[in-house]
Amino acid sequence: MAQPLVLFKNRHPNRVATLDEYRQSGGYAALERFIGGKIDPGEVVRLIDESGLRGRGGAGFPAGKKWEAVPKNAPFPRYLVANADEMEPGTFKDRILLHTDPHCVIEGMILAGYAFSATKGFFFIRPSYDSSAAIMERELEIARQSGFLGKSILGSGYSFDIVVHRSGGRYICGEATALLNAIMGKRPNPIKPPPYPTEKGLWDRPTVVNNVETLACVPHILRNGPQWFKDLSLTSKGAGTKLFCVSGKVNSPGAEELPMGTPLREIIEKHFGGMLPGSEFKACLPGGASTRFLTSEHYDVPMDFDDLKAIGNRLGTAAIMIFDQKTCLVATTHNLMKFFARESCGWCTPCREGLPYMRELLWLIENGEGKEEYIDTLRSMCKQVWNSYCALAPGAAEPVASLLEFFEDEVREHIRLKGCPFNAKAGN
Amino acid sequence: MLSEELKQELRKMIADAESSREKAVDVMLDIQEHHLWMSDEAMEEAAELLGMSPLELDELATFYDFIYRSPVGKYVIHVCDSAMCWLEGHQRVMDHISTSFNVPIGGTSPDGLFTLLPVCCIGYCDRAPAMVINRRVYGKLTPEKIDRILGRLARDNEFHPPE
Amino acid sequence: MPRLVIDDLEIEVPKGTKVIDAAERLGIMIPRFCYHEALGAVGACRMCAVKFIEGPLKGVQMSCMIDAQDGMVVSTTDQEAVDFRKRVIEWLMINHPHDCPVCDEGGQCLLQDETVSSGHGRRRYPGRKRTYRNQYLGPFIAHEMNRCIHCYRCSRYYQEFSGYRDLGPLQIGNRVYFGRFKEGRLESPFSGNLVDICPTGVYTDIPARFKVRRWDLQRAPSVCINCPLGCNTIGNSHYRAVMRVEARMNPYVNGYFLCDEGRFGFSYTNGGADHAQRPWNSRISGADVTVEAALAESASKIAEISAIYGPGAVVALGSTRNSLETQSMLSRLCRRKGWQGPVWFNDPAIYRKVRSGVERLDSGIAVSMREIEFADFVIVAGADLLNEAPMAAMAIRQASRKNATIIVVDPRPISLPFEFRHIPAAPAQIERCLGSLVKGSISKDELKGFDSSAKGFCKALPAKFEEKESGISISELSGQLMSAKRPVIVCGTGIVCESTPAFAADCAQLLRESGKKAGLFYILPGASSFSSALLSGPETKTFSEILPQIEEGLIKALIATESDPFWDFPDRERLDRALSMLDLLVVIDYLPTETVKRATVFHPSSTVFEMNSTFVNQEGRVQHAERVHVGGVPIWGAHPPRIIRNFVPGGDHQPAWELLWKISAETSMLESVLTLGELIAAEIPVFEAVGHSKYPITEGRIIPENSEGSFVKPKASPAKGQTAKGFNLLLTDTIFASREPSAYADTLASVFPEATLFMHSGDANGAGLSEGDMVSVELELGAIQLKLSVSQRMARGFLFLPRQRGIHWQKMKEFSAWIAPERIRKI
Ligand SMILES: Cc1cc2nc3c(=O)[nH]c(=O)nc-3n(C[C@H](O)[C@H](O)[C@H](O)COP(=O)(O)O)c2cc1C
Ligand code: SF4
Ligand code: SF4
Ligand code: SF4
Ligand code: FES
Ligand code: FES
Repeated sequence: MAQPLVLFKNRHPNRVATLDEYRQSGGYAALERFIGGKIDPGEVVRLIDESGLRGRGGAGFPAGKKWEAVPKNAPFPRYLVANADEMEPGTFKDRILLHTDPHCVIEGMILAGYAFSATKGFFFIRPSYDSSAAIMERELEIARQSGFLGKSILGSGYSFDIVVHRSGGRYICGEATALLNAIMGKRPNPIKPPPYPTEKGLWDRPTVVNNVETLACVPHILRNGPQWFKDLSLTSKGAGTKLFCVSGKVNSPGAEELPMGTPLREIIEKHFGGMLPGSEFKACLPGGASTRFLTSEHYDVPMDFDDLKAIGNRLGTAAIMIFDQKTCLVATTHNLMKFFARESCGWCTPCREGLPYMRELLWLIENGEGKEEYIDTLRSMCKQVWNSYCALAPGAAEPVASLLEFFEDEVREHIRLKGCPFNAKAGN
Repeated sequence: MLSEELKQELRKMIADAESSREKAVDVMLDIQEHHLWMSDEAMEEAAELLGMSPLELDELATFYDFIYRSPVGKYVIHVCDSAMCWLEGHQRVMDHISTSFNVPIGGTSPDGLFTLLPVCCIGYCDRAPAMVINRRVYGKLTPEKIDRILGRLARDNEFHPPE
Repeated sequence: MPRLVIDDLEIEVPKGTKVIDAAERLGIMIPRFCYHEALGAVGACRMCAVKFIEGPLKGVQMSCMIDAQDGMVVSTTDQEAVDFRKRVIEWLMINHPHDCPVCDEGGQCLLQDETVSSGHGRRRYPGRKRTYRNQYLGPFIAHEMNRCIHCYRCSRYYQEFSGYRDLGPLQIGNRVYFGRFKEGRLESPFSGNLVDICPTGVYTDIPARFKVRRWDLQRAPSVCINCPLGCNTIGNSHYRAVMRVEARMNPYVNGYFLCDEGRFGFSYTNGGADHAQRPWNSRISGADVTVEAALAESASKIAEISAIYGPGAVVALGSTRNSLETQSMLSRLCRRKGWQGPVWFNDPAIYRKVRSGVERLDSGIAVSMREIEFADFVIVAGADLLNEAPMAAMAIRQASRKNATIIVVDPRPISLPFEFRHIPAAPAQIERCLGSLVKGSISKDELKGFDSSAKGFCKALPAKFEEKESGISISELSGQLMSAKRPVIVCGTGIVCESTPAFAADCAQLLRESGKKAGLFYILPGASSFSSALLSGPETKTFSEILPQIEEGLIKALIATESDPFWDFPDRERLDRALSMLDLLVVIDYLPTETVKRATVFHPSSTVFEMNSTFVNQEGRVQHAERVHVGGVPIWGAHPPRIIRNFVPGGDHQPAWELLWKISAETSMLESVLTLGELIAAEIPVFEAVGHSKYPITEGRIIPENSEGSFVKPKASPAKGQTAKGFNLLLTDTIFASREPSAYADTLASVFPEATLFMHSGDANGAGLSEGDMVSVELELGAIQLKLSVSQRMARGFLFLPRQRGIHWQKMKEFSAWIAPERIRKI
């Protein structure tokens, strides 16, 4: 496959790339050049900004802009957080990345920290990724011993260290502001900005939260230049490669690195072995559980932030969950809603009470007790939960809203038949 | 109830942190390594180490999925019930474990070895259906594979290396 | 100042005003649950949604989260917003039990009101309800978690506002639970506010629970008279019983809140649960008589004694729980009749401290609790706030939350719900400590600008104060004080030296002269100490000074008006002997005091809930308490009454001032000649001066613009260190159990602190004692037994004994005692 491998270039089956392997592939060169060479941190920000690197954690916020938001005269200490919570159903790209080339993430964190003079980095990771956490701890120590991390990195005078922070496990902890509360040992409820974490984050100090994959791109951009990064993308507005993780009814689910903007059809058919025998593509969630069902109508859409936005969808985490003609989407949506309702942090009413309400209606529909009026109720609630405190509930409404938009007939059939035409079972 | 040795270890960990509360989850996970779950006494002692009130620590303990505030078995089996695993038969996995190893769903086997709980997506959707046992993950579960994994745990009563 | 339009009405509001508050100014009450002025906006409930039509923001947004900005056009009635709010109600109601008919919150429930007003009336949700198990939270507050709508007000109030750490949110998602780690009494002495703050019926007031519906209550604005702060309350009564007390918002005093003593310490007015603990009837020599008979008896006996021995053989005792009306009447009668008195205080030292403090308050320097909340540096000198004036601790906590530095200079093992630096200085060292702290904050330039008296005072302040035990650097604190803009000195009048209140005033004055907006706040002993001081002069005697005259037979009659020497005078044996020498002991009271038991003639007086009355708090704020009900023996539990009578049982009580007037046989008095307002103004000229001769007096402060007080040269305080071996035993107050009238409330009895003696751990070590030991302390008149509590954070060489109900501290002969080591032993 002619894939431009960047993040996955040191990928070995069942093995983590070593520091030496990483270095041989050009690793830590950027660190040596920029930090060792004491290049102005502003230059790092400028280059990242220019590269068009957008956040890989779901929201797609330009990374350079976020770093810039840390006021120049902001107080110290300043913190960087790598977000490896990755609890959105369907998403596992960060895990594969960490199991592939941890130093790529470490170097990215150090350089990102350098960009806004952070003094400490937190690597926030979910409990079911304990093996990744252990790898990270081991490799951080190796980096420390090699002089890339810790006091006065490469004698530059810039000091930065990273600690691994294990989560107790909740989806909401991935939300940047909830994550900060989690690290501080507070209840992980989100905090609505302003102030933004870049001004008042951890312990009221400037803090930048970035996704692991976002950070992993940084050393490569600095080494090869912004234009190189832009050119990696197949679409003109996009930049870089993207880790796509694909699951569901395809022959070889997993994660692959592909150019940004690779069309969905190509991703499924060429890179993940195509649909399972006997399966036809019915729909997918293109960017994790909080995106909208994408139907075969858009089977050729380029998988990039803007192109998905143009069809009313989102690239999200680029976790593609693929459903075939035998899958009951009502039951699927119910399952997703069960997830969101269970993981709601319980802070605001629409999410805490509204999501279980929607879950209940979906369950009744799936189990043959649905009523026509539930469709209207669900529709209006899908809109209303947008007035929630954070983005969890609006995300949770996306599958439902798109189910009602594209598969209303299927929903109505459940109601008419007083049962599931697919004989699927929704667990309650 | 915590041994002095463990307390010493935890104190050191807490001292290294930016603020003691930061280590709340780590402390609880560590205690669970030794005592399986967070009893009221364990909560009180942990809270004291962390400079928190027991309530403040409980605010966190009860929030998180992997902190147990009721007794659990030696092995806590979390079977993923999110979209991909559900699609690939998470219910069958649950049922199989429950019947073959005599573990009530949501409960603990009479021998105290296994506790069976659902969990949301654990990030191994490419290997659905998947489960996590004491923070180690197993995927592409079939009845045979489950029998093998749990059988070995039951027999050797100790961990074998994860996949 | 942003201008905006809300529902077609234009308004200009200060920058930073939230849209929800801007609307309220226009009289538009946007529904809300989580938002509360005292707690701030957190955007949790989503109930306050409105539509932004024009301006910098568009669409449905939460009005509590958004600052008013120029050009905003907001609609609260827009259909989308209305529908959304209705949906929020539906969401909240899917789990809410339909138990309004049996819920104590019914009728005062924000959830009920907003559910009805939203139009949500029929359940559509087909699922089941979530249910919770409740917890026991102590004797004051019942827990009914199924009613919770998860607004997080309780945990934000409890943890953030009040600083306690044993109640909060547990669990996640729609299982979030507000409670404790384990069942048990809430640790906060401010827990009752949960009842007021919860917008639904999760926390209800146990004393009133299941006894009355809200709409059947008689309610009136009242004032708490348990401590000097005078928090504003609402009294609620039913069937002649006060059922509950709620906080009444007063921005200058208590804000929205009360302490638990103020809230739950009211049942004395009902005579307790069995109504038997209040002297309801007039009595002569212990036998019930009619009101008229008792009045006639007192009047004639007093007249007789005055005729035989001269009016000087009659002495009138008042107290610091008298209303201003009663105090004025006492003052007037003493003057006109030639009686001795009025006597307000027992302890001459306390009296002098109160007077020297009150003299120094002027409107420039006196601060309210509200102003304390905005202080950036607070020095508490010789006051144990949680025990002496609880809500003042809440005010300082708010300052602390805004990062004020808080220093407590006090020999006792003080605990407070916020971070503070404690300097456990002995009473005699407090001035030294305070003085050097203040002196260190005055720059050379500032000193140059002072006039000679300020300069003299500043120069005479001790330069250095060594604080070894606490390891606190005074000079570092001085540095912080130097940069403070709004420092406040809170000064107690209990354990401090006599000169300290005036000294604290001088220090505050000095800080003012150095350009700071410095404030002064006294903690006085009792609800109406301030007016007692105003009604006193150099001639005024204390009970200690009167007592020898009784013993010598010079005083034959005592009129004790809501005054009980047995409550706070030591040497009970002497007191007993002296009172038995009197020919006449007239007692006017509503509490079942020891003095009442010994009365020759007893007249029942009205409680604060049963009359219109006025109280002046310790910062000189005049506050009016309205009559809540007529009062009398409560009939709840026995309704309807089976016996038909033409009088109200227990309805004989009258305001003490009225009783006094009647027994004085003074004819040219009230109604005909004087109104109450005139009476007060005639006795306390400052009322006239500040235009308060009308009655009832509307709220205001009666402190002069400039006080006469000027710098007093500080005395050199005695050198540190005790010579003789032994301990200085001092009396101290404790919450719930130390004050009249609340300590008589049976609602509080179960929370009285255990009888405890406080001792420095080093001293205890030396004496072979340790924490938790039961000890016996031999006082002059016998031994008392109590538990020992040791602490490192207190002054050495001292013992602190709570003057609390149930501890027989009156076995002391004086207000303090010297305890030789062998007189305290473990039992
Ligand atoms: C409910 C919720 C869960 C989230 N979970 C994650 C996560 O697991 N990992 C992640 O990187 N970002 C997650 N995000 C997005 C973060 O809030 C944040 O935008 C991101 O970490 C920023 O990094 P980026 O700019 O590099 O993408 C989540 C957002 C929400 C609303
Ligand atoms: S939408 Fe509200 S309840 Fe849901 S996770 Fe966000 S803040 Fe919590
Ligand atoms: S208990 Fe009352 S105050 Fe607390 S969250 Fe529930 S409804 Fe709000
Ligand atoms: S006792 Fe004092 S602090 Fe408490 S409510 Fe009454 S006046 Fe306020
Ligand atoms: S859905 Fe089961 S691991 Fe992701
Ligand atoms: S009052 Fe505004 S969100 Fe609760």
